[in-house]
Amino acid sequence: MQPELAVALPATGALLTIRLGLGLSISPMSLAVLLAAAASLALVVTFPPQRANRAVLSTWGLAGIAGMAAIAMAPSLDLVILVTLALALLQAVVAGRRSLAARLRAPALAVALLGAGLVFARSEGAPILATFAAVGLVAGLAAAVGLLPYIHEFDPDEVTAASPIAWIAFIGPILGLEIVIRARDLIPSAAAAFGAMLVGLGLLNILWGSLASWFSEKGASAWHFSFMADWGLVLCAFGVQVADGQAAALLVMYGILLSRLPLYLWSRQSVREKVQTDRPINLLGAAMLAGSAPFAGFAARVLLLRGATQLYWPLALVIAIGLLLWLPPSLRLGRSLGLPKGRQAVGAGIALALSVAIGLYPQPILSLAGL
Amino acid sequence: MTAAAGFAAWAGAAVIVLADGRRGLAAGVGLVAVGFAALAWTAGLWLEGAILLVGAAVSVFQLLRAGPKEWGLMPPGSTPRLILAVVGGILSLWVAASVTTGPGAALRFASLAVLGLMAGRILQSEGGVAVLSAAAGLALALAGASGLAPNGGGLAPYLVGAIIAAGALLLPTAESRAA
Repeated sequence: MQPELAVALPATGALLTIRLGLGLSISPMSLAVLLAAAASLALVVTFPPQRANRAVLSTWGLAGIAGMAAIAMAPSLDLVILVTLALALLQAVVAGRRSLAARLRAPALAVALLGAGLVFARSEGAPILATFAAVGLVAGLAAAVGLLPYIHEFDPDEVTAASPIAWIAFIGPILGLEIVIRARDLIPSAAAAFGAMLVGLGLLNILWGSLASWFSEKGASAWHFSFMADWGLVLCAFGVQVADGQAAALLVMYGILLSRLPLYLWSRQSVREKVQTDRPINLLGAAMLAGSAPFAGFAARVLLLRGATQLYWPLALVIAIGLLLWLPPSLRLGRSLGLPKGRQAVGAGIALALSVAIGLYPQPILSLAGL
Repeated sequence: MTAAAGFAAWAGAAVIVLADGRRGLAAGVGLVAVGFAALAWTAGLWLEGAILLVGAAVSVFQLLRAGPKEWGLMPPGSTPRLILAVVGGILSLWVAASVTTGPGAALRFASLAVLGLMAGRILQSEGGVAVLSAAAGLALALAGASGLAPNGGGLAPYLVGAIIAAGALLLPTAESRAA
């Protein structure tokens, strides 16, 4: 770095800190998730789905990454919420099949709930206020990502950038992570209630997401519900407030970004054409989506069960039973991949290899996240 | 003064809930901004309050510039909206003045009332302009609520909130796309 630049950057940072209240820094865990999102985008842009416009994918993907970076670097939860509102408004500009009101509904509700939670967290009064704040923050998180009880309206034929998939599979991981990390600092007195609500909502989403993914008539909707089931695991892992739980949450989010999202995009054409194949690639895809060994999902599930056992062993039992529900929908989703050809076959191979590498040796990612 | 400012913010949110016309929505966004700007000024945050007003002024100008010039206040069938505006205000007042304690009751009232009413408006509405006006109100309320932070929150939330409020009404709505 040139000497002038080396002096100018800290000076700019100091100016931002003093004048705007902006201390630009990023937590190791957020950095790890941001890198995964960038890698996911690179994978999808390099090996684009059929009929997808690479320029459109890159433009909206990079806009999303910029927004996610802003969320990760925001010095306060106020700014995280405001950036979320800005992202929701920008997404509403993308030409989609749903009306603008329908697309803004859930993110705007999330912003209002998070804002109300923040007001309660910063108010003096009875101890129950901290619990109210936890309710607002957890409900806001669920509404922002699009989880039960605030599932976003989904149109299977809508372009992905304008659809709820952008929230649940791309922006959601960093947003959820930031809300959880900052909420813990904001309401330490309600940490137990916050964790319990996350676990409860997580179990609900595991059950609903996996069953709906299994029995849903439309293939695209089945994929949408499968993201919800994965998010159920993430919420449970965040709720289990031990180191293993946090590591599990990170690995499941890696699975969402690097495995499930690319496979969803590559499967869209075959889902439209209702093609179902039973080739080895489909079985491997199904195994990866189900979290079987040696894929990343398996390591995440082992860590989650270990964390839950440390906290309260019956919870681990319930989660273990819930994990069995992944098998039937994953087989269905694996078949819906069709037979990837050309670039998509290479992309699917890379996604599988990445998942195996993370599953066999997750330590570099956990170290990057400071876990 | 703070009580009047808090009341102005709630009144603005109530007008956004009750209005379908662009003039009514502009009046609502303007009142919300005036309320939060006045609350910021009473806390000594002069620049922050002014930034909110500028952001809202762009939004109001945009609302008044295009589309049919009508108020559209309380069209037929708006009784549930009236009930929402009144009950939302009473609930927020109860929480701000009775459930919570300490200084900043007016700001707590205004923040909770505007956040709640704007969420209600967005959930209930099908019209693009009304939803974007409510989003602008939401941004102003979030920016204003940052004043509740122990260290004041800094200038950034006000700046970002004002930019969002100013930009929201510049976005193309479903109506303008169809035109």
